Order: sequence, then C-alpha cells, then structure tokens
Amino acid sequence: MERSLISKKVMPFLLSFVALIAATAIVDALLHLSGLTWIGRWLGIPGVLLILLSFFYSMRKRKKISFGRPKTLLKLHEVLTWTGALMVLVHAGIHVYNILPWLALIAMMVNIISGMTGQYLLDRSRRYVAEKKASYAERGLTAEATEKELFWDSVTFDLMKKWRAVHFPITLVFSVLGITHIFTILLYWQWK
Amino acid sequence: MEMKNKTVNIIVLANLAVILLLVTFAPQLMIEPGKLIDAHLELTDDCFNCHTPFIGSTPDKCMECHKVDEIGLKTTKGLVIAKEKKNVAFHQKLLEDDCVACHSDHKGVQSFRPIGYFSHQLVAQDMREQCDGCHIKPGDALHLKLKGNCSQCHTIDGWKPATLEHEKYFRFDKHHDSTCEKCHIESNYSDYTCYGCHEHSRSKIREEHVEEGIRDYEKCVECHRSGDEDEAEYIWKLKRRGLSPQDYPAYRGGSHGDDDDDD
Repeated sequence: MERSLISKKVMPFLLSFVALIAATAIVDALLHLSGLTWIGRWLGIPGVLLILLSFFYSMRKRKKISFGRPKTLLKLHEVLTWTGALMVLVHAGIHVYNILPWLALIAMMVNIISGMTGQYLLDRSRRYVAEKKASYAERGLTAEATEKELFWDSVTFDLMKKWRAVHFPITLVFSVLGITHIFTILLYWQWK
Repeated sequence: MEMKNKTVNIIVLANLAVILLLVTFAPQLMIEPGKLIDAHLELTDDCFNCHTPFIGSTPDKCMECHKVDEIGLKTTKGLVIAKEKKNVAFHQKLLEDDCVACHSDHKGVQSFRPIGYFSHQLVAQDMREQCDGCHIKPGDALHLKLKGNCSQCHTIDGWKPATLEHEKYFRFDKHHDSTCEKCHIESNYSDYTCYGCHEHSRSKIREEHVEEGIRDYEKCVECHRSGDEDEAEYIWKLKRRGLSPQDYPAYRGGSHGDDDDDD
C-alpha cells in the first residue's frame, strides 16, 4: 500500500524535480558544446520574468485580478515556475564566486520543492473534497459552479493552509534574495 | 498556530535583514565575483575605488594610478621597469582608452573575459601593420629573408591558415605546377628564376627575346604573368606605350593559349 502510494503519488513530483536537474545539465552542456555560454549569463532575465508571470495565479486568488480560470492559472504557475527555474539554474551554472547568488538559488530550489509538495497535497485535498461534489449537485449547482466551488474548497482545505504557512515565507526569502542579487548586478555590472 | 507562524516570519525576516547587512558591509564575501588580482588587493575594501554605480569601471578610475604614457615603462609608483622589452609602445597606441576591454580584475570573471584578453582592433591602424613590433618572426628559411609585409600571407585573425596570392605575381598553370624551390632558389622568396626548368634555357630565352627586339628580359614576370605568351606580348606592348602595371586594361585572352609549346 505504502509502495503504491509512493509510486503513484510521490514519484510524479520526484520525476518532475529530477527532470528539472537533468534538463539543466543538458541545456548547459549544449550551450558549452556550441560555444554559446554567454546565453546562460543572460538567461537569468527571462527566467525571472517567467517566475514573475506565474504570480498571476496568486493575484487571481487574492482577487487582485478577475480574468483567467483559477485552475488554468494554477497550472500556468506550475509550468512557468518550472521553466523559469530551469533558466535560472542554467544561468547559475556551477560557478561559485560568492555567497548571495547561491543563497538565492538555494531559496529558489527550496521554493520549487515546496511548490511540488503543494501540488501533491492539493491533489490529495481535491480527492478528499470530491466527495462533496454529490452534495453540491443535490443543492442544484451547475456543473461549472460546482467545479469552481470544488477548486476553492481544495485549495482552502486546512492542509493547504498549513502548507501555505511554509510556502509563503520561502517565497519571501527567495524574492528578497533574488531582488538583492539583481540589484547588486545592476549596481556593479560593466554596462559601458 | 498563528503565534507559531508569526514567530517563523520574524525569524525569517531577521535572517534576511542580516543577509542584507552583510551584502552592504561585507560585499567581498557576498557579491564579489572572485578576489581581485594580487596587485590590486589593497583596493579590495571599497568597491567604488573602481566601480561607478550602475555604470561599471571607467578608464579614468584606472588612470588615476596607471598613467597611459607610462604603462609598460614605469610602475604606478614611478619606478622604471628595467626588464620590459617591447618594440612597440602598445598601450600608448590604443585607439581608445578602455581598460576593461582586455583587463578583468576579478579572478571569477576570467571565464567571461580572461585577464589579458586581446584584439588587434584595439590598436591604431599604423601599429596594427607593424606585426614585428610585437611578434617575433619565425626563424625558418621561408621567413628569414622576408621583412615586414606579413599581411601578404597572414591575417590578424590568426597565423594559420596562411595564404599567398601568388597570382598577383605569377599565375600557375598546368606547365607551372612546380614546387616553391624550383623558382625560388634556396628558399629565397624575394627573388626567383625561370631558368630552373629545362624549357627555359638561357640561350633559348635569349634567342626568342632578341628576335623580338627585347634586350632586357631578365625580369620575366614583368611581362610573363602566366604561361600564356599572348598575355606576355599584350603586357609588353602596354609597357612599350609607357603604361604602368596598375593601368593595364584586363587581358581577355588571345589566339594562342598556354598550350603552345613553340618556345
């Protein structure tokens, strides 16, 4: 039973993380082989932009924006952060010169792991509240309204609340370290 | 639960504050891309010794210590560099003062811009043509007798592949598919002879030219740019008219080709 749980539920997220590392290695190798390592230096910018774009889900959740289906925006959040993290990882490479960028990178990876954990917990929450679908139908809600209710139910499930209490501070740490790294680059880079 | 969350947040914020303070007051630890080169270690305490915020390192900051006229000749303390051997005053002949175009002071930036990175494009045109100002000529037989004119065979992109536009002097054809030594005796490329080939014996050549009224025939390639004798006749006639080589209209072929064997 336990093995089945791990292979069916945990493995997809583990594979996603391993795929991120593998993709980083492959892209890095390709850039080196083709003599285009300078691209890696600049990849941090689109990487950060993708991660920022993923925050549309967070804004939708807090009703700062009203467009977009929450489910779609959440999926987009997952895809954009994975892709943005890939670009940032390639940008980082394996060059260690100082502490701050690596602190930001570690914070990003912890954030990714936290996000994947959230994906797993959300999946469990959804299955749990799916039982409520029947009761919503009995109350006469349409299919679309039921879907919407179920989505918000799952994300607000208590387990998710606890997870968010971890994910948000990690995001804050990553944001502050990332912004500080970007600021110091702007301050000291050879622009001329 | 809320208290616990609040505690966690306070701890996180406190840690972030410590990191930001370190970034501000200990940049060497937190953001410096590798140590400065040994000669600049005394500047390490203040990044703004060299960096202008949001711009980078400007040449004027370097030149506060490194006077361009004295680079390679004197140290920054004014001591004469006794053992410096340079034929050419390289830094003094740069097109533009842009120190970081070649020099990267932080060891960690080596992968991006190696210390001592060089490009010929940085050097003034007249200096660029003085190859032997910086480069020692190879001691082989080919190069020994040559002086200057490196760009005849070499480009500034690299010594190899080396090319020579031999057609500017003589066009090879099926009858002249020979080794360099056949025409350039003892690898003397500043001179040549056509008498190395049995087809061109002295007596035969003399006879053919005197017959045409040509008495000065030792400088063969002045007229013979290939094995095509019609071309040679064409050039000779232009010379007789007093035209100089750069004014020769292009030769367009004649009734004889280089297949003729009547010499």
